[in-house]
Amino acid sequence: MVLGLGGKSLETYLTTPIKSEDIAGLRVGDVVYLSGRVYTARDMAHIRIGEYLREGKQLVEDFKGAAIFHAGPVVRKRNEEWEIIVIGPTTSMRMEPFSEILLGKLGVKAIIGKGGMGESTQKALKKYCGVYLLSPPGCAVIQAKSIQRVLTVHWLDLGVPESIWVLEVNDWGPLVVAMDSHGGSLFKEVKENALKRINRITGKEEAIL
Amino acid sequence: MKVVDGKTLSEIAFELIRRSCIGIAPDAMELLKNAYERERNVAAKSMLKTMIRNAELATVENKPVCQSPGYPVVYVMLGGDMKLKVGVQNAFQKALIKATKVGYLRPSMVHPLTRKNPGDNSGIGVPDVEIEYVPEKDYAEFIISFKGCGAELANVLKILTPEQVGKNGGGIKRLVLESVVNAGGIPCPPVAIGIGIGGQMHYAAKLSRKAISVRKWTDSNPNQELATLETELLKSINSLGIGPAGIGGDITALAVKVECVATHTAICPVAINFHCWTARRSGARLYSDKSVEYLF
Repeated sequence: MVLGLGGKSLETYLTTPIKSEDIAGLRVGDVVYLSGRVYTARDMAHIRIGEYLREGKQLVEDFKGAAIFHAGPVVRKRNEEWEIIVIGPTTSMRMEPFSEILLGKLGVKAIIGKGGMGESTQKALKKYCGVYLLSPPGCAVIQAKSIQRVLTVHWLDLGVPESIWVLEVNDWGPLVVAMDSHGGSLFKEVKENALKRINRITGKEEAIL
Repeated sequence: MKVVDGKTLSEIAFELIRRSCIGIAPDAMELLKNAYERERNVAAKSMLKTMIRNAELATVENKPVCQSPGYPVVYVMLGGDMKLKVGVQNAFQKALIKATKVGYLRPSMVHPLTRKNPGDNSGIGVPDVEIEYVPEKDYAEFIISFKGCGAELANVLKILTPEQVGKNGGGIKRLVLESVVNAGGIPCPPVAIGIGIGGQMHYAAKLSRKAISVRKWTDSNPNQELATLETELLKSINSLGIGPAGIGGDITALAVKVECVATHTAICPVAINFHCWTARRSGARLYSDKSVEYLF
């Protein structure tokens, strides 16, 4: 299955740790399949990463070249081994305040989630050569099939959804390049066009919201 | 008077939760398949195909359709002859804890301030319960609806002035369209949108949630004026081009449901409630002869 725009998109296979040169060629609408290590992180893990950096504490992993997945899985423990039942993306926008830290300070290269991110992420992706990948929202059964195993879990005291789950993935995709390292954003284009259409439909320009 | 005992309610509660999690409601699936046929954007069409396949696989494999169980609300309609022996909230919370242990639900309920997660979806006030007493019915009806919280982040509640309402509710239509654009891909489109109009803040908000939780997404509003508004809004929303997952496309919304009550002459509260495409809801009726009918 190809999830490209009008069939013109490119398919790229990436393996972690990801390098800048892997990212530079990617453009909005391209499709990516990812292999290697993926770290889940939601609100509380991001907040704690921020606190650790401020306090000069050692982080639990080296995130250079890492792929961060905005997600919290449904898990089960069997014979002391964690098993992912299902996993899918959460709303990325909540993690917007942390993009500069993740991409700039930690060297994260790919952020995977749903719903898109904002201006500060767009700038950080350009400045540090990173990419935002869209994973199909609500499709947790299908995506769990690309997870090979749970390598480890950090900060379980934050609760199952908010911990950092270190996952081994194989050809995980299709993930759509929704924001690239050249300032391109699928969501920005869609929003700008939609706003023009609202004015046409309502015959007004002033916002009510 | 027929008494609904604790054991019967516990069994119904668990079965409703299980059914809700492992797929999407049949009416939502029908609209999703219809959306797939109509969508012209290649990437958007492919996204819809993945969604349909994922929902079907969830049912076949007996797994949660989405990793996030969202937030549960239980709607109870109590017939005149029926009496509950146990608290609905208590029975459903116990069933939620059981369903979490089995792996149908991720433990997602936390304390709102400390963010502490007890790990089993227990918590103060979970689930939210609304009970309506309907004397002429001879059954008790229970509907549970899990609504995802990315969608919740996109919700809008505004108390409009009469001037802002405008001619023929033009201001309300504008508010809805702006909310949809601001939301973009955040509420996991294609969405269903519940709109509560009137009352005060809490009343409009309750109606907006109920509209997309209890009504079938394929139904028509019995009030002709509101039915027209729903059709108009759906058409306008789907001309905005936001598309499935917010990546651009023809289908941004599957359904719009409007509920309206009288309000005070000074105000017009409007609550806009987004529901992601994963319509996790199920319902059951318990009759006075103790037979149980699962509705969807």
